[in-house]
Amino acid sequence: MAAQAAATTFNGNLKKALAGLRRIDLEGLRWRVFDAKGQVLGRLASQISTVIQGKDKPIYAPNRDDGDMCIVINAKDVCVTGRKLTDKVYYWHTGYIGHLKERTLKDQMAKDPTEVIRKAVLRMLPRNKLRDDRDRKLRIFADSEHPFGDRPLEPYVMPPRNVREMRPRARRAMIRAQKKAEEQEQGGSQRKGRKKEAKTEVAT
Amino acid sequence: MNKKEILKLAKGFRGRAKNCIRIARERVEKALQYSYRDRRNKKRDMRSLWIQRINAGTRQHGVNYGNFMHGLMKENIQLNRKVLSEISMHEPYSFKTLVDISRSAFPGNKNVVLPTRKVNVSSINV
Repeated sequence: MAAQAAATTFNGNLKKALAGLRRIDLEGLRWRVFDAKGQVLGRLASQISTVIQGKDKPIYAPNRDDGDMCIVINAKDVCVTGRKLTDKVYYWHTGYIGHLKERTLKDQMAKDPTEVIRKAVLRMLPRNKLRDDRDRKLRIFADSEHPFGDRPLEPYVMPPRNVREMRPRARRAMIRAQKKAEEQEQGGSQRKGRKKEAKTEVAT
Repeated sequence: MNKKEILKLAKGFRGRAKNCIRIARERVEKALQYSYRDRRNKKRDMRSLWIQRINAGTRQHGVNYGNFMHGLMKENIQLNRKVLSEISMHEPYSFKTLVDISRSAFPGNKNVVLPTRKVNVSSINV
């Protein structure tokens, strides 16, 4: 415990990070570290959920919880594709009539980026009595600091992914956007006096 | 009497179902139906559990369950899933040789292509 207190250049919610650690018995578990930087949200969450359930071990049994402790860092750098940043909405109902609340992914990331990954993983776990215990094994941190530096950590290597080719329409849109960005950069690097020439370049 | 047998079968039930004969009779009938059904379900569940364990064991060596079984079938290795799951749990080295046999018989088709793809980075705080 003293080592942990010394290893924290980690401000804020140390209490939340260490919450409920005593409830998890069987410390024959490994500590896996997931780096969420640049990972797609759902694909990362699905890998985390397999590890948390213990389904990557041949001694898996559905009635007991044998998953490894999972630490996710850089939660604020997780990526989503498409327009989900503005269009993915989290709904919840408060229980009072007519009070269906909603919040977009953008606002949720601004408010608490760890909740995004936590919700994603929790909704991928089977809905049984072990779900809460598995939630306790998951620790998510928005930046890359975590107070578990003294434990034997193992980084998790994501399996290689075959990304499908872009659809022709999306590809054309991307090329157009790239060209526009290049021309804007070229137009901005010239002086303001030559703005008219830059405009003609863009037009042609 | 039948009552005595029913109450004997109703041991461990919740609430009045373990004490009062009218409720216990219903619950015991249901329990016997469930046990009939589950004697057949247990065989399915156990096979599914063996398959999950074999999958976990082979994925540790980079092969998934489908390719693994296909390779074993090609080599005409007739070990069943129960035995394979036991091997994967308790005999890791033997299991590794099985995985190698399967991989040599049927190399998996892992075409890993990673083209550069545009991914929107959620850069709110950056």
